[in-house]
Amino acid sequence: MSRLSKLCGALSLSVALLLGGQADAQDSVAAAGGGPAAATPAAASGGDAEKGKALFTNNCAQCHAVTDEVVVGPGLKGVRQRTPGEDWLIKWIRNSSAVIASGDPYAVQVFNKFNKIQMSNFPNLTDDDIKGILAYIDQASAPQEATVGGAGQAQARGGGGASAENGDGSAGGPSELFTFVLVALLVVMLLVLGVLLVIVTILSRAVSPAATGEGAPTTVPFTQRLREGLTNAVNNSTLRSIVIWLFIFVVTKESVDGLYSIGIQQGYAPKQPIAYSHKLHAGQYKIDCNYCHTGVNKGKSAHIPSANICMNCHGVIKKESPEIQKIYAAIEQNRPIEWVRVHNLPDFAYFNHAQHVNVGNVQCQTCHGQIEKMEVVEQRSSLTMGWCIDCHRKTEVNTKDNAYYDKLVALHRKESKEPLKVANIGGLECSKCHY
Amino acid sequence: MITKHTGITAIVLIGLLAGGTACKRDHDDTGLEFAPQMYDPVSYEPYKQVRPNEVNPTGLNMRDPARGTVSRPNYHTRFGEGDTTTTDLMIYNIPKDSIALAERVLTNPIPQTERTLEEGKILYGRYCIHCHGEGGKGDGLVGKEYKGVPSYSADAYKSMNDGHIFHVITHGKGRMWPHGSQMTPEERWKIVQYVHKLQQG
Repeated sequence: MSRLSKLCGALSLSVALLLGGQADAQDSVAAAGGGPAAATPAAASGGDAEKGKALFTNNCAQCHAVTDEVVVGPGLKGVRQRTPGEDWLIKWIRNSSAVIASGDPYAVQVFNKFNKIQMSNFPNLTDDDIKGILAYIDQASAPQEATVGGAGQAQARGGGGASAENGDGSAGGPSELFTFVLVALLVVMLLVLGVLLVIVTILSRAVSPAATGEGAPTTVPFTQRLREGLTNAVNNSTLRSIVIWLFIFVVTKESVDGLYSIGIQQGYAPKQPIAYSHKLHAGQYKIDCNYCHTGVNKGKSAHIPSANICMNCHGVIKKESPEIQKIYAAIEQNRPIEWVRVHNLPDFAYFNHAQHVNVGNVQCQTCHGQIEKMEVVEQRSSLTMGWCIDCHRKTEVNTKDNAYYDKLVALHRKESKEPLKVANIGGLECSKCHY
Repeated sequence: MITKHTGITAIVLIGLLAGGTACKRDHDDTGLEFAPQMYDPVSYEPYKQVRPNEVNPTGLNMRDPARGTVSRPNYHTRFGEGDTTTTDLMIYNIPKDSIALAERVLTNPIPQTERTLEEGKILYGRYCIHCHGEGGKGDGLVGKEYKGVPSYSADAYKSMNDGHIFHVITHGKGRMWPHGSQMTPEERWKIVQYVHKLQQG
């Protein structure tokens, strides 16, 4: 929350460039370079396109494509024609900020058009280097419209196919399983139904006096037969006691279970104000837990990230998503996002993240479950005292290369043959957690 | 027919019981608590809000720290002997637009050892790798989506010095947003060491 007000300022300066295009700039460059670019009009300008290609990939491709596509900066197709000339381009590439500062109208116009993002300066590039890069751009963008387009499309299609496949793969696994389970359930239910029908037939034959041979079972209505059957069943003392005992057993079990679940929130998965997915961020993109939960190595709490950490990426990407627009709204109104706490320890129990994560080397997943697979975070562990104690009894202390433990280990060896556990160094002391 | 009535009652009770227990607790429900006055904090806990706070403007226990607050425990004031950057480390007060100043005056106060480099690598893995990639080529999983992430070993980047890198981590540059709030200066300097290693390609 502390950075909210600062962010408001930063937001107004924020990068407003959003990229619709999905094609990877580097890929399309590579594809273009690989095309049969025989005719090189750039050769006339005296640049070495081969050398230029390497320089382009290394220095420019992160922000520029050789086509019309805007990556971060403008697409460079036809850059020689639309700019004031080669000398200007050389000056610009070496030190664009100086050109802008000099008040050059074209430079200022481009700078403003692309949201005032400063292009890096490349003072180390020689005139020949820059000419080579320009030659490469000419070669890659100009002659082979068809090949570039074709390759680009093929790639786009390939990429689309791959992502669709991925989507199907992730959705396909569970859905297939789901259908299988459904079919299996259906079969089981049909079997049960069949068995029940058989039982009903047998019972009705046994109970109904009409079935003994009069040949007129239809005269006795079903309700009457049922009533008679029930009366017989109720009058049967064995059956009655079985039912009563079963009832007492079920009630007792449910009561005991209910009592044990008091104060335990296992399975709690509240709906959050913003549908943030750990599965996407921590699972698919493999962003380290520490990146957002910055306190986890340093303090008691792991920290819920403030909005500025969201903005580190979402200041640029996925800005149009309605969920991310909620972050923007919160920042603009200087209003905190009220996330719902999932893991609630009682106030009388002390827990410290740094102690467990940094010193104890406990993985986040040990207590929180497979967070990187959760769309909505759920409390997986019971967080009861028994659960804590159990882990303290089982976990060995990593005493290797740590002089702090030397004497403790020596003392412990005298008393026991077991390795040194957390319980042996005070992990079961009441006052460690309750004070 | 008393027996008949007890029979019906028993059946009804079992039905009620089955119906009552078949429904599991809702995912949005924390369930029953025995003694909430013992479980809920009495003091103002920033991360545990039970009832609205009447003192703070937003009704939350959490609030912005006073302007200019520096969290002292996280800040080393000295690294080794007689370095000149101690004050800057306490409050890194070089403004965002003065990157040239940072390049001129700042040098890494942490002497480079194998251990600090190793720590730098771990910290790089936590805070940088998803965009800048394992080898600093700008090819991290997020970086590919984010676009415009440079390679550390590119000509324009491979000679960037301590002050420059420290300043960029703190305040951001170009498309990169400020990361100063997530790392202590000490951690940033260790990352700087590791980035220097990656600049060599």
